[in-house]
Amino acid sequence: MASNSQQPGMKGSLGAPVEVLLCDPEVTGSSPGNNPPPKPWEQAATSSGPTPFRPSTPGSTSVVVETSGTAKPGELYSNTGSTAANPSIVTRPLPSRPWDQNYGSSYGGYGSNMSYNTGYGSGYGSSMYGSSGGLGGSYGSGLYGNSMYRGGYGGLSGGYGTYGGMSNSGFGGTMGGYGNGGPYGNPDPNNPYGQPPSPPGFWVSFLRVMHGVVNFFGRVSMLIDQNTQAFHFFMTALLQLFDRSGMLYGELARFVLRLLGIRTKSKQKQHQPGLDQLESADKGRQQPFLDGPKAPGPSWDSVWGGDDAPKGAR
Amino acid sequence: MPVFKTPFNGYAVRFSPFYENRLLVATAQNFGILGNGRLHIIDLNPAGGISELCSFDTADGIYDCAWSESHDSVAVAAVADGSLKLWDAALPPSSNPIRSFHEHAREVHAVDWNPVRRDSFLSASWDDSLKLWTLDRPASIRTFREHSYCVYSAAWSPRHADVFASASGDCTARVWDVRDPGSSLVIPAHDHEILSCDWNKYDDCFLATASVDKTVRVWDVRASRAPVATLAGHGYAVRRIRFSPHRESLLLSCSYDMTVCVWDYRTEDALLARYDHHTEFAVGVDMSVLVEGLLASTGWDELVYVWQHGTDPRAIS
Repeated sequence: MASNSQQPGMKGSLGAPVEVLLCDPEVTGSSPGNNPPPKPWEQAATSSGPTPFRPSTPGSTSVVVETSGTAKPGELYSNTGSTAANPSIVTRPLPSRPWDQNYGSSYGGYGSNMSYNTGYGSGYGSSMYGSSGGLGGSYGSGLYGNSMYRGGYGGLSGGYGTYGGMSNSGFGGTMGGYGNGGPYGNPDPNNPYGQPPSPPGFWVSFLRVMHGVVNFFGRVSMLIDQNTQAFHFFMTALLQLFDRSGMLYGELARFVLRLLGIRTKSKQKQHQPGLDQLESADKGRQQPFLDGPKAPGPSWDSVWGGDDAPKGAR
Repeated sequence: MPVFKTPFNGYAVRFSPFYENRLLVATAQNFGILGNGRLHIIDLNPAGGISELCSFDTADGIYDCAWSESHDSVAVAAVADGSLKLWDAALPPSSNPIRSFHEHAREVHAVDWNPVRRDSFLSASWDDSLKLWTLDRPASIRTFREHSYCVYSAAWSPRHADVFASASGDCTARVWDVRDPGSSLVIPAHDHEILSCDWNKYDDCFLATASVDKTVRVWDVRASRAPVATLAGHGYAVRRIRFSPHRESLLLSCSYDMTVCVWDYRTEDALLARYDHHTEFAVGVDMSVLVEGLLASTGWDELVYVWQHGTDPRAIS
């Protein structure tokens, strides 16, 4: 539906006019190159200090993306005019920024992230501790955020590097912060070379493994328990359903038979006596069931003793 | 305050960054499930009414729209057939749409124009990807494919030309840099699908997410382990969230509980105002960049309301 009715319009727009537009993107009906009024926030300064973002690259978006090498392969349009206009972006080697991800090599003493990771245990996920300076064990999992991102930021101002202090173990349990004691990292946020957290000892890691194992079996047992319960409920419900559907069938069958004029006397006979007795009781007739036996002689009334029973009976 | 009746169910509304009285409204027929779409450009009259400047039809519903930041008459729409269409209101109907990009495999759910560099826009689609487009390229220049479920929203940072955030149905919000191959931050922000996200206009590290779990959360991208604030008060999923362009801590949200809420996430009693003028799901909401406190909302009741914060949207002035 969409493609059929849309075709003529697309042809009209993607035909000849597009070529013109590609040469000069300002060719539209509006006045070329007009900018909107300044945004209200552009006058105000940003209020929260250092930011984790890299400074923006000058140039148009398409050039920036294509020079960053992240454009889609096969869709890199060779626009010689625009790249020639910005040769500096390609040729000039950028100095390594402190927020770049390879801080390990620029701060030589801390060792590189990668080697530490491989040395310390692959079972614990990717580095989050390593980012805070290289000495910390890599116990953060990739679950919460990109470790490289944090690492880069930690390298910049130091204060945020140890957000990984509250790490997730590979088994999923949230472990409290250790080393610097607390989810918010360094006690002194202004000291970028503060004491990096020491790697956890054998017992800590052993207990963490045990915790993971216990957690695992706890979950498995819970699952089994829930499955059993669910199966039980299912079976109960199924049996009840059969029971009820049988009764429903019976009722329906009786109804249909009655509609067809076939009397199912036997069933009615079984049910009627009770009704008859009630009606007769309403009419005030003798009702043995409701009034009880009034006949003289040995009866249940005299069970409880010789004095009370005759009084009540009389 | 003025009300505009659209023929279809409203999906998004945007104030023009150029004219304080101009708005863009995206609508879709039959609640966006099936049918046509229409993009309206409407003007607020000084007398106090709304008149339609022009409208553009599509063969499928329009889920989102955005004004161009570089041309005052150009608008882009996210269409349910997976295409992005650009219209120029100053051109005759025969030459519109001026662009139609069709690369997404499924519905495009959100579109956002870069407010800093002004030459590019982003689209977020149900095919789990985001795409970056510029007008001087015939196709998308980048595809961001990391989300594992529908991407519901994308928002450019108002201060960084290369940074944007995305919100997805895989319960994560991601922060991206167009120069990096992957996302630079993943925030597992909610336990349910995240429908919308937006940046704080004054503090460039703060990000708000709105989710199916009925809450709005504000995040600091430097410390994304815990939210800065959790705003609860909506009765159903929160559909769209916007930070105020004028006040640092002011938020505007709309929800499937048919209300539009104004929040101040820094105060103890965060809910400042609740507008229940819509009689169906409130889906689109926006705050004017040029006039402080001017709000607009649209919803499935096919009405577009424009009102000043603090007044009753339904009051006829």
